[in-house]
Amino acid sequence: MSRALPRLAVVVAASAAALVALRAASFVPMTDARGESAWVRLSWSARPERIEQCRRLSDAELEKRPAHMRLRLECEGRFARYLLQLTVDGTAALADTVQGDGLRHDRPMHVLREHPLHPGARRLQATLVRLDSTTATAGDSPAGEQGTVLGDRETREREERVRRTGESIPPRLSLDTTITLGAGRVVLITYDGTRRTLVARTGSAPP
Amino acid sequence: MRSLERLALRVVRALDSASHRLLGWRYNPLHQSGAIAVALLALLIITGLYLLIIYRVSAPWESVARLQGDPWLGRWIRGVHRYASDALILAVGAHVLRLFAQARSWGPRTLAWTSGVILLLLLFTSGWTGFVMVWDTFGVQLANAGARLLDVLPIFSEPIARTFAGDRPVPSAFFFLNLFLHVALPLGAGAGIWLHVSRIARPTLLPPRPLLWGIVAALVALAVALPAPLPPRADPFVVPGQVPLNLFYAFWVPPAGRLPVWWAWGGAIATFALALLVPRLTRRPREGSWAPSVVDPRLCTGCNQCPQDCPWEAITMRERDDGRPTLVAHVDPALCVSCGICAGSCAPMGVGPVHRTGRDQLVDIRALARDVLDVTALPQVLAICCENAAPPQLDLLRREGAVIHPVPCSGNLHTSVVELALRGGAAGVIVFSCPPRDCRGREGPTWLEARLFHEREAELQARVDRRRVCSATMAVGDGAATVSEFRRFRESLVPLGVLSPDELGDADAICEPVLPVATRGRS
Repeated sequence: MSRALPRLAVVVAASAAALVALRAASFVPMTDARGESAWVRLSWSARPERIEQCRRLSDAELEKRPAHMRLRLECEGRFARYLLQLTVDGTAALADTVQGDGLRHDRPMHVLREHPLHPGARRLQATLVRLDSTTATAGDSPAGEQGTVLGDRETREREERVRRTGESIPPRLSLDTTITLGAGRVVLITYDGTRRTLVARTGSAPP
Repeated sequence: MRSLERLALRVVRALDSASHRLLGWRYNPLHQSGAIAVALLALLIITGLYLLIIYRVSAPWESVARLQGDPWLGRWIRGVHRYASDALILAVGAHVLRLFAQARSWGPRTLAWTSGVILLLLLFTSGWTGFVMVWDTFGVQLANAGARLLDVLPIFSEPIARTFAGDRPVPSAFFFLNLFLHVALPLGAGAGIWLHVSRIARPTLLPPRPLLWGIVAALVALAVALPAPLPPRADPFVVPGQVPLNLFYAFWVPPAGRLPVWWAWGGAIATFALALLVPRLTRRPREGSWAPSVVDPRLCTGCNQCPQDCPWEAITMRERDDGRPTLVAHVDPALCVSCGICAGSCAPMGVGPVHRTGRDQLVDIRALARDVLDVTALPQVLAICCENAAPPQLDLLRREGAVIHPVPCSGNLHTSVVELALRGGAAGVIVFSCPPRDCRGREGPTWLEARLFHEREAELQARVDRRRVCSATMAVGDGAATVSEFRRFRESLVPLGVLSPDELGDADAICEPVLPVATRGRS
């Protein structure tokens, strides 16, 4: 008994020390140097503009095609590239070419860039400018003359083209704002698809 | 790789030594690391079931905060879940280190090693999802670290990191996916554990009850005394200056963050590949002490004892091709780990690794009796010691006057060796085994005890005075206990005096002459 008690005390003390060590290793304070800066984050996904050459097909041409392949406008083209630029207090911080994802760049373009800032009031200018020019061809006029072969489908085709054009990002977007940020704070510059403009946020996104 | 193994063995012995002094060999958790890992996984599943009821994918942090706010149940169950997951990594680490140090990572154990590496990968992945699920500052840190690695792979249409950028709420589907993986991976690990132990007979999946309940009680006490804190909710508009890092699961985050992403991938893949290659890098030629057991079909009586005793299910009984009506044992060399336990199980001494069959052991003990035991007028105590148990303690026993006879495994020892040693002049025979849960042959001490004292085949003959035979445990770091056990046995021999000629009998009447090696054949 006289030997068992000190031994038990040692066992309890050692076990307690091991448990405290386990807890300490479970919550090791890790300093993140990123927290010493403020940050500007550019993040959005949007569909790039389609640059295409279109030709208006006549009723005779459409009649030669299977019914499910009849479209009034026959187009070929590609998606536009954009120049993304960010200046902080007039100094260029970022300049990058962005384009749609995927091997053919026909997917939405996803932008995610971060740049550190000195905490305090900063003037931020972000621009996204289309690099490739588009030339409207006679055939792509949505108000073209209506034929007889397609009937209602021609109207739906026209509406679909208008919708797609509306979904794609405008040829030029810009934001010029001055924001005061503390260390560890983030300003998010994102694309508002409803207003079709760049916006800056410093708080949680609305649900 | 051998020098690494030796270094690891020194570390294991040092840890064992400290643990034996503190807890004794019966409750040394380092011997039970695999079983403790399984017990902790079970504890994680049980506590996880409660957390699963409370957790909401639509409000992850808030639901965990609600748990944290419940001081009666939620807070400590979450704490136990968290601390058990950390302890699980420690247990697995100890398990890996021990098996590597003891050269138990190659040959027939390759499947166990490989499945163990994959289980460890599942464990880390499951842990990763568990931390991300909480969606606190540490969770988002891990999510971003994972996204950084995954986004360079051309498999996602949209960068994962954009999910956490703040321009839209993190979708519930993300948390649902994490929850699914967090539940499914441990269940998959259950199947993995089955594969992990599939090549061993009678796997021990849980530690002894006192140890099991002691660990559970310790984790509960820790969770109550020092609850696991809940860091602030993740906010994409805040980069916290300090994050509570979990070293067990996220040790890789700081170095990986400093490396270019492909370097980080390279490091991870190289580590995984190296772990998978360990069985190849540590393998030995199957000769000498690593030679698999062979069967002498002429001696095999078909008693079916060696398949029962083999801890690796490496022996099966087959039809004979020599016309005799019995079955004959067959050893699959791909499954045999050369532990030699079959040699101790075979009464006619017809099976065992080359040079370690019962007959080979009799040759050795005869030589020992002739060269050592006979030269002294005083009866001596023969200490047959497992050479893996605690090599430094052999000198302690020598200083006590013991005649040392090392054996590769006490389970390999044939009981006729004990009888022959007594006939050869030993006053008594004490067999020192390693602690039962640390036996490299898994069941050596268990079968030895059963054969010496409980009439398990090949039992020590009834004519042998059991008072002159003793089995004991030799635990590294506990030399005092070894010496004390030896002295106690030696003193118990004093009243018995010297063995009388009547007791000795005719040695050759019980011990078959050794067959020429050339006549042995592998079945």
